[in-house]
Amino acid sequence: MITVENLVKRYDGYTALDGLNFSVEEGDIFGFLGPNGAGKTTTIRILTAIIKADSGNVVINGHDVFKEPMAVKEIINALPESNGYYEWMTAREYLEFFSNLYGEEMSRQEIDSLLEAVGLHGKEGHLIRSYSRGMKQRLGIARALINKPKLLFLDEPTNGLDPKGRRDIHDLLMDLNRKQGTTIFLSTHLLDDVERLCNRIVIINYGKIVRAGEVKKGTIEDIFFLSTKEGML
Amino acid sequence: MKAAYIMQKEIRESILTPKGFLWYILTSIILSILSYLFLTNSELSLLDQGQMLYMIMNFITALGILIGLVFGSDAFAGEIERGTLEALFLSPVKKTQIAAGKLGAAIANWVIIFAISLPYLFVVGKGGQNLLIGIAYLAILGTLLAIIFSAFSMGLSARIKSMKNSLIISFFIFLLAGSPIFLSAALRKTWFGRVLDLINPFADAINTFDSVVIDSQGFSYQAGRVAIICGYTLLSLWFLKRSVSRLEM
Repeated sequence: MITVENLVKRYDGYTALDGLNFSVEEGDIFGFLGPNGAGKTTTIRILTAIIKADSGNVVINGHDVFKEPMAVKEIINALPESNGYYEWMTAREYLEFFSNLYGEEMSRQEIDSLLEAVGLHGKEGHLIRSYSRGMKQRLGIARALINKPKLLFLDEPTNGLDPKGRRDIHDLLMDLNRKQGTTIFLSTHLLDDVERLCNRIVIINYGKIVRAGEVKKGTIEDIFFLSTKEGML
Repeated sequence: MKAAYIMQKEIRESILTPKGFLWYILTSIILSILSYLFLTNSELSLLDQGQMLYMIMNFITALGILIGLVFGSDAFAGEIERGTLEALFLSPVKKTQIAAGKLGAAIANWVIIFAISLPYLFVVGKGGQNLLIGIAYLAILGTLLAIIFSAFSMGLSARIKSMKNSLIISFFIFLLAGSPIFLSAALRKTWFGRVLDLINPFADAINTFDSVVIDSQGFSYQAGRVAIICGYTLLSLWFLKRSVSRLEM
């Protein structure tokens, strides 16, 4: 699904990504971990064709991200870490606006079922400014599902949510992965997220991969323990 | 078509949010006060209709420019600061389409300002000479100036990525554009004043209004200044396209 080769990104002399290599298989829930400033958000922005890399290759579902960004954007979607909202819109208007940008006018029922899936049914007519943080996060996920993406990028999706909110998001993501086969690329700091959701993880630091592997019961604590001990997480 | 959806969203934001709606209310209040002064103040009433029309046209143009600059400053920097631009960039819409939608909305804002000002123009200029041709020139040159200043400030907003800083620079540009108003008539007649007048699109517009409304001169007298304004329009569109295509989060 994703192949990343020798990805390099520099900002004003600072190397954010230093020859990153990894791959994500179709159907994975792929955990992308690392401390603040490790290059997680930069990687997601490159993979989602928002920014360009200085060198390297990224292929998503057979499309070169740098040469065919629009084709990539049709099959992916993402929830950025600091996703803002048009607070003067209602949830329904917000989703209608983004569905129009994908050239797909969603019916009322389709929007209703999407909002129901993220637990916002009944709130579609409320202004977004009246939403709690958790509700906004759910709306952000609904927006990210609007084009039925094959690959979904989530940057710290459970940040700032209470335990119930986190559990609801976990259930929603697992449902998406199991029922619709959506591949999920998850950037997170939280052990709980990784343990419950991910089948493979990569840990990066200073723009380089420092650990990678499958998540098996009992191994995740070791990886986290070592990474924390080495000051990486 | 995607640009049209962005434009629709921007126009709705202008009308539905207090930030945008306030400008229209302010425009009405200021134009009402100005018209009242023109029509009742004995000293100002010594001015003929043409001169009053010319003065209110200048004011409406300046207001259009100011609103264009404010909305333009918010276009990209404001969205970056509110965290909403990334979701737009994630959708399969080209950056130039986003810019086109936002510029379309800025022009629509000017059209609303122009529509609000029409009754005042008719009241102030009623019975005077060149009312209709003056309004036609205001419609055309005002639209071009709205494009110039909105596109420039949007480009700036995309490059600077800080709404506060792009707003400060935009206000500086507004003062620079309004400099002919601050210069004395004598200074404006020096070679420096003439050059400054010629290269300043706002000065070109108000000199054209003067020539059309007060001096009743034909298009051949205006062609040079109109050509300069058209040149600035193309330059500002090029600047916007270049700034936006380089924009990264």
